[in-house]
Amino acid sequence: MGGYIVRRLWQMIPTMLGVVLLVFVLFNWVGGDPAYVLAGKISSHEQIENIRRQLGIDQPYYVQLGIFLKQIVTANFGSSWSTNEKVSHILLTRLGPSLTVLVPLLILGTLISIGLALAVAYVRGSLTDRMVMIVCTVGLSISILVYIIVFQYVFAYKLGWFPVQGWGDSFWQNLVVYASLPILIALAVSIAPDLRLYRTFVLDEINQDYVRTARAKGVSENRVIWVHVLRNASIPIITYLMSGLPGLLLGSFLIERFFSIPGIGREVILAVERSDFPVIKAITVYVAFATIFTNLLADLTYKAVDPRVQLK
Amino acid sequence: MRAARAWFRVGAVVAALAIAAVAPLAGAADPSKVLHIAFPVAETGFDPAKISDLYSSTVIEAIFERLYTYDYLARPVKIVPLTAEGMPEISDGGRTWTIHLKHGIFFTRDPAFGGKPRELTAQDYVYSFERHADPANRSPWAFLVQDRFEGLDGLADAASKSGKFDYDASIPGIAAVDRYTLRFRLKRPDYLLPYTLAHTPFGAVAREVIEKYAGDTNAHPVGTGPYMLGEWRRGAKITLVANPDFRKVTWNFQAGDDPSDKTVVEQMKGKTIPQIGKVEISIIEEAQSRWLAFNGRELDYLGLPATFKGQALDDSNRLLPKLAARGVKLDRTVDPSISYAFFNFRDPLVGGFSKEKIALRRAIIMGYNLPQELAVVDKGQAVQAQMPIPEGIVGFEPGYRSINQYDPGLANELLDYFGYRKGADGFRTLPDGKPMTLRLSLGTSAIDRERSELWQKSMNAIGIRMVFDQGKFADHLKAAKACQLMMWDAAWIADYPDGDDFLQLLYGPNTGQSNNGCYQSKAYDALYEKSRTLPTDSVERQHLFLDMTRQMEVDGAWVLESSPVRNELIQPWVLGYKKHPILNAEFMYLDLAPRQ
Repeated sequence: MGGYIVRRLWQMIPTMLGVVLLVFVLFNWVGGDPAYVLAGKISSHEQIENIRRQLGIDQPYYVQLGIFLKQIVTANFGSSWSTNEKVSHILLTRLGPSLTVLVPLLILGTLISIGLALAVAYVRGSLTDRMVMIVCTVGLSISILVYIIVFQYVFAYKLGWFPVQGWGDSFWQNLVVYASLPILIALAVSIAPDLRLYRTFVLDEINQDYVRTARAKGVSENRVIWVHVLRNASIPIITYLMSGLPGLLLGSFLIERFFSIPGIGREVILAVERSDFPVIKAITVYVAFATIFTNLLADLTYKAVDPRVQLK
Repeated sequence: MRAARAWFRVGAVVAALAIAAVAPLAGAADPSKVLHIAFPVAETGFDPAKISDLYSSTVIEAIFERLYTYDYLARPVKIVPLTAEGMPEISDGGRTWTIHLKHGIFFTRDPAFGGKPRELTAQDYVYSFERHADPANRSPWAFLVQDRFEGLDGLADAASKSGKFDYDASIPGIAAVDRYTLRFRLKRPDYLLPYTLAHTPFGAVAREVIEKYAGDTNAHPVGTGPYMLGEWRRGAKITLVANPDFRKVTWNFQAGDDPSDKTVVEQMKGKTIPQIGKVEISIIEEAQSRWLAFNGRELDYLGLPATFKGQALDDSNRLLPKLAARGVKLDRTVDPSISYAFFNFRDPLVGGFSKEKIALRRAIIMGYNLPQELAVVDKGQAVQAQMPIPEGIVGFEPGYRSINQYDPGLANELLDYFGYRKGADGFRTLPDGKPMTLRLSLGTSAIDRERSELWQKSMNAIGIRMVFDQGKFADHLKAAKACQLMMWDAAWIADYPDGDDFLQLLYGPNTGQSNNGCYQSKAYDALYEKSRTLPTDSVERQHLFLDMTRQMEVDGAWVLESSPVRNELIQPWVLGYKKHPILNAEFMYLDLAPRQ
């Protein structure tokens, strides 16, 4: 196991180098020259050159790439070009609000989707199953933007059950007051596709011979579903869940924008709009790291869930 | 009994002293009055030398004080002293400006001052102005100090070479004559100086504060203004609290011609500035969220988002009855800005001053369906720009009418006359028979796409083939400064309320800086240079402005488009609101009545 983990960590290096190179090329190719915007409305050639010098974008590309690599190694991406705020401070302060929405969403969404998937798979082919699938298909066909606009209008403005927007200082106030409606919307959006997917995973298992055998042996239906079926269906579920974990670092920019949540998703969009390369670099690198780590974590979890899995 | 009387006397003296101590604050800001407003775009920071965005400037305006400001009600705008004792003393034919500061103005308390009160002095303004020339600050306002004050360019050049700006060096251009007297010596007479002195980024900062927080000056604004920064969650929420040490300033503006001024004066006259104890500014980027928050009484005033115009105003731009019944008020003003599309005078297709090129440009101008832009794209929330100077700005002439009005028939005749003939495909060619394709650069927003469709339709009607280059602002700006864009749909908002700010966009020597059309007309430049030597209220200068306008029209330099209209919705409990064309922190001059 130890050797496997070391090998996987070693393999991260070429993957990360690929990511770094891609980000660097993309930024320099399509990112635009931020000096022209930072220089203000009326600027001379000298001012623009002064800004380019201060930002280090007057350096040859290989030097800029070297600085980028050094920043990754030292985990110090400097300061934002547009606000001068430390990039580390940006990430630390914006991640909390995003996680306040996305972690409960992940937990609730997973529990509800798995529970419903098991229930509808159990009554597969019934009217209930068909109705749930129709509702899911309709739900899937509607854009998240529509959910946000309608829910915000109805539940926040018309009914007044939630604030229209806002964010406070206390974690509990944020979780209970401000994050409730965004979580509700995100649940409405995510449960439909998750439920359909998990139902398929469960159905794949429910038709297996071992399930028939367990039932023939007189094992209770609850134990068949919650222990045998769920355990075997959990490998694709884990794969799916793990692939979504790095998304927590990116937040949900639409929800954050509509509800004025000072999260990382909004920050990413702002950084792109402002050609704020230090922020874009840091977030891209951290998401790449997170993706590689969650892939490793997923593989280790397979082993824990199913002893037949061999890590090579 | 005697002892009791003695104690009573002591008590009376203590009470008197206590009353005296708080007397300057009597009638001052009420901490229970909290104003809630929203910014649609996140701020960037609060260091006056480092920011240029409108929303950061709004906050800075309330924290830092300039020598001069604008009268809240006077229209056209009028400069009035802020920390200056009076208007500047001008000598040496407009080259030397002497200003006396008010005594007893203090910065808000900060650890940088070592626990001592810190009075505002002339040297603070010297330092604050010099910061804009310091290359390390990358000030977006450097153009307002460059080539203007004697000795300052030399300091900036030396700093570029050494990497360190010498703030201890004395220069004649900006000097503190004594603790309360400031003297500016200009390289040449410049009657626009008061606008710079009243410009938000030129508020006074204290050197100790800047040096103490050198790592992040954006986060430590310490000024002398009516408000100070309370809480700041970057990109999310800014809380301003009334400065408890702010000197006593009384709301004493006079009503102008606008009938609504009378109400404003009645609501505010004689009150102490500021009245509102706390201002909470939320960053709400989405129009729907701002609109619902206003309707849900979570915001006290709101710039009406264009997409919600139909839900607030009728076809005549009056408030809908449901809002009027709630007591909501509407304040409509024309923005001090213009949108226009410029031609690149160095472009081989549309540039140059030959007759057929001038005819081509003027035909394009006359062919663009501006009335439809105003009605459809701007949804009636803009007025046609007849001249490069927008309404409310010194130099604007209300009766002036451009010679280039929308007239596709005349545009076609002009093109026919100068030999731009239509080919078999219905599109015109150059007089020498070569193909002709216009290329207009614009942004990528939805409104840019609407504009591009209108342009396409308009040019099709006069037989001109047109393509669009939709891209990032920074890329377009870079290309424009190098005179490489054929046409660009641009906009300009007033930095100072004078036509010069707009007419300099066409001044030849500004090519590569702000003259992105690279228009270089000797006749125009001569008129502009003459206008720079005249006082801002001179009649001759006004005539020169009109001559310059006519010259750029005759040459077909710009497709003049429009100035947007701002619709501000104000809740009934907000007292004293009137949108100022230049000032943005109107909340300094407001009060709040109890909500009903």
